[in-house]
Amino acid sequence: MRRSAAEIALSAGVLGLGAFATLVTAQLSGEGGYAGIGPNFIPAVVAAGLLVVGAWLLWEALAGGWRNRGAPEAGAEHAFNAPAFWWISAGLFAHMALIGWAGFVLAGAVLFACVARGFGSTRVLRDAALGLALSLAVFVFFVKLLNVNLPAGWLQPLLGSAGI
Amino acid sequence: METLNALLHGFAVALTPMNLMWGFIGVTVGTAVGVLPGVGPALTVAMLLPLTAKLDPTGALIMFAGIYYGAMFGGSTTTILLNTPGESASIATALEGNKMAKRGRAGPALATSAIGSFVAGSIATVLLTLLAPLVVEIALKFGPAEYFALMVFAFTTVAAVLGSSTARGLASLFLGLLFGLVGIDGQTGAPRFAFGVPELLDGIDVVVLAVGLFAVGEALYMAAYTSRLPETMEKLSGSLMMSKEDWKRSWPAWLRATAIGFPFGTIPAGGAEIPTFLSYAVEKKLTRYPEEFGNGAIEGVAGPEAANNASATGVLVPLLTLGIPTSATAAILLGAFQNYGIQPGPLLFQSQADLVWGLIASLYVGNVLLLILNLPLVGIWVKVLQIPRPMLYAGILVFATLGAYSLHQSWVDLLTLYVFGLLGFAMRRFDIPVAPSVIGLILGPIAETQFRRALSISQGDATVFVTQPISASFLAVTALLLIVPWVLRRRRRAAAGN
Repeated sequence: MRRSAAEIALSAGVLGLGAFATLVTAQLSGEGGYAGIGPNFIPAVVAAGLLVVGAWLLWEALAGGWRNRGAPEAGAEHAFNAPAFWWISAGLFAHMALIGWAGFVLAGAVLFACVARGFGSTRVLRDAALGLALSLAVFVFFVKLLNVNLPAGWLQPLLGSAGI
Repeated sequence: METLNALLHGFAVALTPMNLMWGFIGVTVGTAVGVLPGVGPALTVAMLLPLTAKLDPTGALIMFAGIYYGAMFGGSTTTILLNTPGESASIATALEGNKMAKRGRAGPALATSAIGSFVAGSIATVLLTLLAPLVVEIALKFGPAEYFALMVFAFTTVAAVLGSSTARGLASLFLGLLFGLVGIDGQTGAPRFAFGVPELLDGIDVVVLAVGLFAVGEALYMAAYTSRLPETMEKLSGSLMMSKEDWKRSWPAWLRATAIGFPFGTIPAGGAEIPTFLSYAVEKKLTRYPEEFGNGAIEGVAGPEAANNASATGVLVPLLTLGIPTSATAAILLGAFQNYGIQPGPLLFQSQADLVWGLIASLYVGNVLLLILNLPLVGIWVKVLQIPRPMLYAGILVFATLGAYSLHQSWVDLLTLYVFGLLGFAMRRFDIPVAPSVIGLILGPIAETQFRRALSISQGDATVFVTQPISASFLAVTALLLIVPWVLRRRRRAAAGN
């Protein structure tokens, strides 16, 4: 019998989300007007659905594992590469923290370098430079041509004097 | 006759210089982005959706139709040369296409997929032109109860009937429905699941969900599980020309595939995955060269690619006439309509005839443009494939975050994007289908509106869904779809037990 901790955890997650949705739904108004049902009706249906499906998945996970799970082809995957995963996550969080403050271009360069590092590139400075060039091009294109509002951040004096 | 006039009028719209330009930009960008390994049509459309903010609806939607088609054409190039299908609909093409490329026949493989896509796409567009007005006639009779029943049917087939597991399909659907509840309730104005966060009051944008699942999730998965594997790309050597023999073997496959793909696209069958495999199976059965299957049989490329395009066009029938998306990409396209406050459906054919028929006419034009772009210029797209993977995914994530950030200029959307990225990573790893989530997010709120409207009209009488014949039939078919396979399985198990 194959039991996977991850499958059990994910099933429990769906179940937990259903419980959470039930709690939130309980706070919603049931005032229905002509229809007789309020803004809480469909949320209750969805919450119930999550609870049922979560329980179903948990049962499958405990009784022999999830059904018909497609196994990856031989040679299509290697073991979980944790540093790669964390480099990309770190890049996304750095980007989140930097974008409103240091600006779109610098945040984009950091994100680019981190993701490239996650995919095994070792030339960090070259990647950062490439990321800087790409973000700058994207910034100019979106702000100038499409009037999308993006933060210039620390580069404001530079970008501003260049007429961007 | 009326249809022909409408279509001619549509061509007048599609062939104005501005709209022709948008169509051209659409197919070019769509092909370029679609060629990138790991980027399928759904992600291409989602990443480029924020671009529409400043464009007029007709031009923007023509551009999106071009992106939709272009990404599909571009995807086949990647599949054949790299053997990394960007989406499930290309897996069948990869079976024979990559084998052909390995044997030095990449040129004819690309040619048969491009010409086959053109043939199938064009025939399917004719069928769309003829079928859409008929469906509109019927759909005009639909009230809220009928729409709701139809959506329940669509949810059930996409989530529960298709795919490898009913439980995982439903889990994906209910997650999508839950995300769809976030925001202001359309009927009463009450906030739901927003927890006082202003970014959540607007609801979860389909761009954030789709880009999170497809781009961030995919990048995390690829880096964590495949980044150390070597990658081989087949060379595009020799002529693109198909021999007389190739033509003779390709065209019946194209036609058969169109006949399979189009109907599958029009019903809620979860996109192009089933018809492409079905077409592959049919070609394998009918071929006079069974020994070539598995080693690069040209029918095995011609069929699935044509089926893919025919079904992609078929998907537009329910999308335009009923407002019902039957694939993840169609759901994102519906999001593009909603950005303009346009709700596709039968009324659209009356109130916005210019837009709808201009869009349909642009599909004819787009097919021609794509044939030109993909055959003589295939060398350019092959260069795109040579971008090293670290640069490729880094670039994809820069664009992915841009799309999410431009919604509210807020980091909260970026955090949401990451959370959906983790979800996409887990779904990819544990074989949970993604399409039901995207469809649930976009179609859930519409279904709720129809449900409550139907009950308002009937003064709260819930029997309205089963006493009206059309609505009752949809619900009956839905119930059958759920019960019959289960009963069959029970009986088979019982028989095996005896």
